[in-house]
Amino acid sequence: MSTLQQIPRNALVWIIISLFALVAPHASRLPIWILALYAVAVIWRLQVHRGRWSFPGRWVKVVMILSGFVGIYASYGSFVGLEPTVALLLIAFALKLLELSHRKDAYVLLFLGYFICLTQFLFSQDLLVTLYALVSVTVVTTALVAIHRPGEHQFKLGTLHVASVMLLQALPLMIVLFFLFPRFGPLWTVPIKNHTAKTGMSDFMKPGDVASLSQSADVAFRVKFDGEIPVKSALYWRGLVLSRIEQGVWSALSFYDLPANQLRPQEVIIGGEPIRYNVIMEPTQQRWLYGLKYARSDTRTVMQASDFRLFSPTLIETEFMYTVDSWTDVPVEETLSDWRRTTETQLPPTGNAKTRKLSLELREEAGSNAAFVDLVLDRFRVEPYVYTLRPGLLPEEDSIDAFLFQSQRGFCEHYASAFVFMMRAAGVPARVVAGYQGGEINPVNKTVIVHQFDAHAWAEVWLASRGWVRVDPTAAISPLRIEFGLEEAMASEGSFLSAMLLSPARYRSIPLLNLLRLRYDALTYRWQTWVVGFDSERQFNLLRSFFGETTAKAFAILLLGSWALVLLPVAISLFRAPDIEPVRPLAKHYRIFCKRLARLDLIRGAGETPSQFAQRVAEEFPDYAEQLWQITDLYNQLAYADAQRSAGNAAQNLQHFARVINRFRPKRRSAVLMTRAER
Amino acid sequence: MQIQVIIDSAVEEIGQTLLGKEPQIRLALCCLFARGHLLIEDLPGMGKTTLSHALAAVLGLSWKRVQFTSDLLPADILGVSVFDANKSSFNFHPGPIFTQLLLADEINRTTPRTQSALLEAMAEGQVTVEGETRPLPQPFFVIATQNPIHQSGTYPLPESQLDRFLMRLELGYPPPRAEREMLERRHSAALEIKQPRHCIDLDQLEMIRVAVSQVHASENLLDYLQRLVAYTRQSAEFEVGLSPRGALALLDCAKTWAAMHNRGHVVPEDVQFVLPAVAGHRLIPSGDYAGDGHALVDLLQRNVDIVGS
Repeated sequence: MSTLQQIPRNALVWIIISLFALVAPHASRLPIWILALYAVAVIWRLQVHRGRWSFPGRWVKVVMILSGFVGIYASYGSFVGLEPTVALLLIAFALKLLELSHRKDAYVLLFLGYFICLTQFLFSQDLLVTLYALVSVTVVTTALVAIHRPGEHQFKLGTLHVASVMLLQALPLMIVLFFLFPRFGPLWTVPIKNHTAKTGMSDFMKPGDVASLSQSADVAFRVKFDGEIPVKSALYWRGLVLSRIEQGVWSALSFYDLPANQLRPQEVIIGGEPIRYNVIMEPTQQRWLYGLKYARSDTRTVMQASDFRLFSPTLIETEFMYTVDSWTDVPVEETLSDWRRTTETQLPPTGNAKTRKLSLELREEAGSNAAFVDLVLDRFRVEPYVYTLRPGLLPEEDSIDAFLFQSQRGFCEHYASAFVFMMRAAGVPARVVAGYQGGEINPVNKTVIVHQFDAHAWAEVWLASRGWVRVDPTAAISPLRIEFGLEEAMASEGSFLSAMLLSPARYRSIPLLNLLRLRYDALTYRWQTWVVGFDSERQFNLLRSFFGETTAKAFAILLLGSWALVLLPVAISLFRAPDIEPVRPLAKHYRIFCKRLARLDLIRGAGETPSQFAQRVAEEFPDYAEQLWQITDLYNQLAYADAQRSAGNAAQNLQHFARVINRFRPKRRSAVLMTRAER
Repeated sequence: MQIQVIIDSAVEEIGQTLLGKEPQIRLALCCLFARGHLLIEDLPGMGKTTLSHALAAVLGLSWKRVQFTSDLLPADILGVSVFDANKSSFNFHPGPIFTQLLLADEINRTTPRTQSALLEAMAEGQVTVEGETRPLPQPFFVIATQNPIHQSGTYPLPESQLDRFLMRLELGYPPPRAEREMLERRHSAALEIKQPRHCIDLDQLEMIRVAVSQVHASENLLDYLQRLVAYTRQSAEFEVGLSPRGALALLDCAKTWAAMHNRGHVVPEDVQFVLPAVAGHRLIPSGDYAGDGHALVDLLQRNVDIVGS
């Protein structure tokens, strides 16, 4: 094997480093046996390098590939979907290492490596993930550089330097491409993340659901207000409206539950300046979006349901940004349709008898619906109700009775559920609203970060001439929760994020850590708005703000022009490279002669002089000897003799040479041998 | 007189004492005609010294021979000033280097210090002793012989000094027929081994040099030379490529070779013929290339395109 085809030791080390660098971000998603496979592959290849073992034989490879497939099926139960296919790719990547013997294998491996580097973006487009991808690209490029440097039989860190410089040189082009490369819609769809759990709220609520959500410090969404940030206690992020109760579980009405004339939301008369803000959702694999009541969005893909919540017609699979205008004071749905009234007062026919009785008594006492609401809230306030993350278990039957009259310990969903039940029992239209309440204000960039532990449930009551009014029974029991958030409310109980020891949000009381966390979050916001959220619309707007109205043609010119601008310096420096030989017309003609001789299956070796070649050909095909020597002598004369001393001028000589060569048309080798045989 | 005739007679003359080595004799002459110093490397007893003596005799030059040993000092070669009591002054006693042809036998047996004393003389044609620079007689040639480096008791010549030798020749075993003739001659003592005749005088040497300077190297040929040199600098097999001095040496030798064959221009065959002797000792294979200098020259001859594009 030529040294050029060998893989230098330095390159092998870098290839192995890039192998690990590429599999690392997937490690947490992969079954343990794939990681073990990587270890085995690397050890095997190193032993091959040391000459102890040999490359696996064909049947071993076949067995390994088949067991890879079997393993994938055993671990994921399917070959379809993102995770099993990525896992399959990673297995192939590890096994290819066991075939790594020539330089061409290294090419295959490393170019596959670039592709694998991309696959991590299918799972997350976080800032850190992107930075890590840059690191892995650098490592893979280093390995690529290393295989082009034969003779490096020691590990060299300097190769990394070369690759980094090369990538830095590519940076301008990368930036141009980022801003100008057309954003196409997806060309194909893969069933993404069918194995990933949906996160955040679900469209039904039973006691304990919100409490378990509040154990998570993940970010649900971030909000950036155009003006001042409203007070925290006013930040009720409406997500879901739960209008139906069945067996103690509140659930949202689905599209098919609504009669045709109820599908569109009632017109709301808006007045005054709205609160305007942008929301960036983390992926949830759900459809619902969050906003302050009464919310309207001018983002194209955001729609409004008949209960005035926002939703997206497609699943939120990546970070999603939308703009909302909210009018918090306007009455919503001042006139209630019969269907709506019936729906929003419906209760199961039986159960929770004590609650129903109490409810009717209190309504009697209050005189009006509004007074009735206050009376119920007063009751929550006066009686010894406890706001807690550890409410204890309630019985399946008559759970609201048990909660209101016996345990009196509950989380927001208990209070909201009990409150709405009481309202409906007295015939007042009411419903549970699930969403988030409050949020953390990041002083670094004035955004509101809403975490999963800000999840909340409250109630809406319909009052004549005021429409749907927000009532939060939790605020009556634990004002701290609404004013300062869950952490304050649970300070005495010590149950805030008690299961998440490593979550940075848990250590908010340490100033330095908190500052770092908030700074990083601000950076993430910027990243999401400017990089991840840079879609075709934003691209178009940006171009328009610089160049006015752009047509497709102008866009194409701009794109190509900017590429040319970036590549021009490179091209110029290449053109100025001094050691480019001029093309010699004489050599061109001689090459035509050589091409003619190739019909005789005779190829001139690079180091063979024209005379030696002519000699060789003439020995095999004496018929052509005369012509051969005429051409060769002429070539030698023109190419090497002193032009000044030889007769005629250069152009004429060249023409003559071309003519001589043109006359030389040898037959094919088979034809020549045939005629020779006939003779 | 025709150059070729002169050279043929010289080759024949040397061939009387060194049998069956015509290509090497011609290359050695080529080296001297190109005003270069010659290094002959081979195992002991292969005829290194015989060749160098014969060359000296044929050229009719004044020559001195220095046997290099491990205790040889620079002063032993260059000369030394001795105090003359009668005249109360220092007298310079020139060393053996003050000659037209210096035969440095087994040059790699001596220490690097003494080896480098030769350096200035070979490069500049002058020596500096005790602060005074003295010119050497013209023409000045060094013909050095050395044993292969892996033999014990040798100090390998540094690359810088190897580069100053225009050519390095290896003699190799004689062909069987020539060896037979040699044995027979020794057997029949009747045939006296005669000293080669002086057949090239200084005028003829000058004439050859003028002829060499008039040899034409075409653009196409220079392209080929540049491709050769570039190949040694770019390919992975070479640790060190040819220096610009190496490239000049190659051109000089090729021109001389062409002149020796009565040709007014250089052809690629000339370059290829002198290539092993001129390039062999200047190329160093890279660490993981299995071949030696010969293999590298072979690579050059096979892989570098002569015609170009």
